[in-house]
Amino acid sequence: MRTVLLITRREFLARVRGRAFVISTAVILLILVGYSLFVGSLSSAGDSGSTTVAVAPETLGITSALRTAADDQGRIVRVLPVSDAAAGRALVASGDADAALSGPPTRPRVDVETSLGSATGSVVTVATTLLAQQQLLPDPSAADAAIAAAEPVVVAARPEDPAQGLRIGLGAFGAFLLFFSIQTYGAMVAQGVVEEKSSRVVEIVLATVRPWQLLLGKVLGLGAVGLLQLVVLGGVGLGVAGTAGLLVAGAGLTGTLVSVLVWYLLGFTMYATVYAALGSLVSRQEDTQSVLTPVSIVVLIGFVAGFNLVLSAPTSTALTVLSLIPPWTPLVMPARIALGGVPLWEVALAFVLTAAFTALVLWLGGRIYARSVLRTGARVSWREAFTGR
Amino acid sequence: MLEIDGVSKRYGTVRALQDMTFSVRPGELFGFVGANGAGKTTTMRIVLGVLAADAGEVRLEGRPIDAARRRRIGYMPEERGLYPKMAVGEQLRYLAELHGMSAGDAKAAAARWTARLGVAERAGEEVQKLSLGNQQRVQLAAALVHEPDVLVLDEPFSGLDPVAVDVMSTVLRERCDAGAPVVFSSHQLDLVERLCDRVGIVRDGSMVAQGRVDELRAGDGTGASTVVVHAPDAPAGWTDDVPGVSASRAEHERTVVTLAAGADDQALLRAALATGPVHEFTHRRPSLTELFREAVGEGVVA
Repeated sequence: MRTVLLITRREFLARVRGRAFVISTAVILLILVGYSLFVGSLSSAGDSGSTTVAVAPETLGITSALRTAADDQGRIVRVLPVSDAAAGRALVASGDADAALSGPPTRPRVDVETSLGSATGSVVTVATTLLAQQQLLPDPSAADAAIAAAEPVVVAARPEDPAQGLRIGLGAFGAFLLFFSIQTYGAMVAQGVVEEKSSRVVEIVLATVRPWQLLLGKVLGLGAVGLLQLVVLGGVGLGVAGTAGLLVAGAGLTGTLVSVLVWYLLGFTMYATVYAALGSLVSRQEDTQSVLTPVSIVVLIGFVAGFNLVLSAPTSTALTVLSLIPPWTPLVMPARIALGGVPLWEVALAFVLTAAFTALVLWLGGRIYARSVLRTGARVSWREAFTGR
Repeated sequence: MLEIDGVSKRYGTVRALQDMTFSVRPGELFGFVGANGAGKTTTMRIVLGVLAADAGEVRLEGRPIDAARRRRIGYMPEERGLYPKMAVGEQLRYLAELHGMSAGDAKAAAARWTARLGVAERAGEEVQKLSLGNQQRVQLAAALVHEPDVLVLDEPFSGLDPVAVDVMSTVLRERCDAGAPVVFSSHQLDLVERLCDRVGIVRDGSMVAQGRVDELRAGDGTGASTVVVHAPDAPAGWTDDVPGVSASRAEHERTVVTLAAGADDQALLRAALATGPVHEFTHRRPSLTELFREAVGEGVVA
């Protein structure tokens, strides 16, 4: 065990001391901050100036006031008269209307899908106030109380989780970090294996340690470097979000952090072992990329598909399926868990499948590594790696 | 005592070792010679457990060697290798610790060996920034830093300058005198002849001859000896009537005479003196190089 720890320590120190670690951490931080700003600007621009409002017959009196209020605020409100309140709610549910008004014009019920946008909300509020003023003009003394009472009552079909945005953000952030760490540090494991082979130092090391110890020490050492970077990036990311007031208590923050860590450890072990075994097949750094590319593509597909589904279709079947296929589970599942609403059995199934797959990879990768790591010269063929001595 | 007993190894259809057997006693310097591809490196790798043997056994102090005992071996592979981007001192400490030394002992040993091998002032530099000669010294330090009880060195002298060769020779002798069995392979046969207590000659994966160098020299089995005589005034055929002479030929101004077993070389000397002045009269003993050529067959010369 001491041997494995010594190897782990060497790998860890060799990387952390390097300038590459500091630079890559800084670059990733910049990318993350830039990306968040970009996404943030997109979402605020998404609130376009046009709103469609379905209005029930008894509430139609508000129409002119709505138009006036909308003109004042530079917005366009399309009024869609409907036969009754239920028809209006149906339009909202189908997405053909943003809101459905029903009930008394000065105090209408406003049905919405998740929430009434702040701009639309202020148009409706101003309209009810205007209406109350017009109706009560002859009796100014009664006006104040009536105006105060005149306000829309918003009823949401599916109330918005106040932490929803944060959850999606956390999920996407976690998925990105996992992808980045696995890709970067997994590739470093392969590079380290090839460096030992090409410098022939592996023969001296293997004269005193067993191949599995060297493999394990390497995976642990670089895994620890990746973890350190993950913690630094995650800490800075959450710190920034915290000072910007974006963190909402009870958004499952702790659970998300734990799940990102667990899936990182599992995912990294799996991919790092694959990368180490692949690295042991070649003897020169120039050949490393060609053996790693197929696996890198698998990782990339999982990340790109998962990341986009998390942002655009967080409840889709495609995302569920993707999160249950072992090579992709560690990239996708933590994001889904962050989003919330994943049945426990799915998490358990994904975990068992991934753990079993990782065990298989460790066994197979360890064999390939032990057989190939001392072979120098030409690339070791798959047949030799599996059957040769 | 390091024993290699009946070790065989095949690479696919190629037979690398066939019943390789020899032993190295404590305090003995054993020279391992043979043509390229004869199986020296494979043997050493099997001793170190870097390769697994198909058959046979390696024993240390009478017991089959295992991972714990292998840590007590100092090894220098034929293909030199160190972590190129790791500092010299740090690297030696790391290797010493991998061999089971405590951090403190490892530090002291690394300092001692870098000083001994003249690379102390380079201890903080990355290995890749060192000259090739200095890298070789660090490589030797890497084999010795954990104070091994056994040394197995594959071509330790290749690429060394004469000063480093002397340092290396002294160190090997020293470890030997401290009671360690030492095996090394080399193509520099004069060096092997000078340094080694015993020599083993390998051919096609088997040991074809082993013993002390003088034993090997004495032994082509017939007991015949060769004498070189420089008698400038001697006429051709002067040895024809000397008893015990089985053959004779001229070599430049000298005569190379083969004496049958048990023949009296004094009779030859008297015959030579009878022809005039004699400037040289020497027994020619086969060098290791000649023994080696003989053992590994024609055409295959290191």
